[in-house]
Amino acid sequence: MSFTKKPGGKALDILQNLPRITLANLRPEPGTKKAEKKRGRGQHGGNRSGRGHKGERQRGNRPRLGFEGGQTPFYLAIPKYGYNEGHSRRAQYQPLTLNRLQYLIDLGRIDPTQPIDLTQLVNGRGVTIQPQKRDYGVQLVGEGAGIFAAKVNIEVQMASEEAIAAIERNGGIVTTGFYDPRSLAVLCKPVPFFLSGQPIPKRMLPGEDMVPYYTDAANRGYLADPEKIQKARIALAQKYGYVLPDISKDELFHMLFMRKDPRQIFFGLSPGWVVNMTEKKILKPTDDKLLQYYNS
Amino acid sequence: LSSSFSGENALPSNLRIPSNLVDHARAKRPPPPSDSSLPVLRRCDAAVPVHLSPVQTWVETLERRDSKLLGLVDLHPDVFAVPTRIDILHEVELWQRNFKRISHAHTKVRSEVRGGGRKPWRQKGSGKARHGSIRSPIWRGGGVSHGPRGPTSFYYMLPMKVRVQGLKIALSSKLAQDYLHVVDTLNIPTPDPQYLMDLIRYRHWGESVLIVDAGEELPENILQATESLKTVNVIPAIGLNVHSMLKHEVLVLTLEAVKFLENKLLWHDERFTPLYPFKLPYTDLP
Repeated sequence: MSFTKKPGGKALDILQNLPRITLANLRPEPGTKKAEKKRGRGQHGGNRSGRGHKGERQRGNRPRLGFEGGQTPFYLAIPKYGYNEGHSRRAQYQPLTLNRLQYLIDLGRIDPTQPIDLTQLVNGRGVTIQPQKRDYGVQLVGEGAGIFAAKVNIEVQMASEEAIAAIERNGGIVTTGFYDPRSLAVLCKPVPFFLSGQPIPKRMLPGEDMVPYYTDAANRGYLADPEKIQKARIALAQKYGYVLPDISKDELFHMLFMRKDPRQIFFGLSPGWVVNMTEKKILKPTDDKLLQYYNS
Repeated sequence: LSSSFSGENALPSNLRIPSNLVDHARAKRPPPPSDSSLPVLRRCDAAVPVHLSPVQTWVETLERRDSKLLGLVDLHPDVFAVPTRIDILHEVELWQRNFKRISHAHTKVRSEVRGGGRKPWRQKGSGKARHGSIRSPIWRGGGVSHGPRGPTSFYYMLPMKVRVQGLKIALSSKLAQDYLHVVDTLNIPTPDPQYLMDLIRYRHWGESVLIVDAGEELPENILQATESLKTVNVIPAIGLNVHSMLKHEVLVLTLEAVKFLENKLLWHDERFTPLYPFKLPYTDLP
């Protein structure tokens, strides 16, 4: 039906008549390997060997970096201000645009018929989270709100109002949940964690500064009151001017209303359980103290 | 090279090839015609892209000395007909040579050479040049100033996909230059090395042969036959590498080896980036 290209093209045809490719025939692409300048050898590398003429330069005694000959150096003249103070202790949230989410769903990398979790996003290589670099999760960003058309049950760590509106307009559900760094590492890379044989930890509650965020219904926080969330959904629909679709009559109603317990990391797995991947078994604790700890 | 071509197979007139490079008795076999009567013994397992078609080559047998063609085999174009890039082969060959290299060259610095703590003679008045130690680099028997220091490692890893592409290019170039033969199994009638040498000479394969089989268990006969031979070697398919392929003139693959190699090499075209090493189990990657 369509024109079939000859695989390998003309290159393989030409190769049939050329000498055999052997270890002696290999060479790098001309221009890739530039010869290194050997100091102290030859007309151009020798004589002063690129050190200049006399003085501190040739004798290797230059002052420290930033010294300006006695003038107050730049790095001391400028007054201090806390622009970057505590930068390594600030929480970072990797942005996820609705454009990207729609792209992933369209390509089949994310399954919209199952609750979308950070694990699913990472498995579909939608976002790259580095828990060791102060990433606390993913934030949903409203770019692409106009073209977003997928009904999803998505759980992120922060979400902008526009993004929440776009998802709820299509009949989906957004929840924001907090994951402390250890739980986040477990959530992003579950397989190495299970192979390490440790029991699933319980998710810690947010710190003092983030509690107001996660108890607010406007952010769809996981600690907020469900009734207030329903009122916020209606208010947002009025604000953005769309009709809020009724999810309770949806066929995927059960999936859309799946939510995690505040102490749970994985759907279907409780804290305290040990997952054995090689033997495909789950071990649950039986000791009272352990049960008390993990159920608190 | 390519822009000065008029016909597809013509070589430029100013290219000098030494006359003893080509074995005249080794006639180049044309590729199997599309209307050949031989049965196709193996089709490609993986889906071939729509705009390409599988390359075909004959299947031979090692059981008899005279060449009897058993059938044809389909080879996936994305493994056996990739455009040739000698620079990638060069990079992979250099990597194979160097990544295992540990240079143990070590010289002593002036502080490590035995002796040389005392000032040899007084600074002034002796008439001799001023020196601080008898082991300084300008002295005979002194330390080396900028010599090799200790075991140095030249380890580096080329990206996985570059190494995979190197294997594919080597296989494609072997097939294109008619140095690839496909064999059904490695069962030979005798463990006599002379039988293999006769077979190779009769069929005009070449000077050195690399025989590849999938799996660890290789037939006893061929192992015994190749043990004493220097130019004929058998390796499992996991051990296939660019250096061995280029060092040996001819590459002989079994049908299972072809299947194994296609499977392994095509997987890299459609995989995700690794979140954790591929050795750990993945549920969603094939």
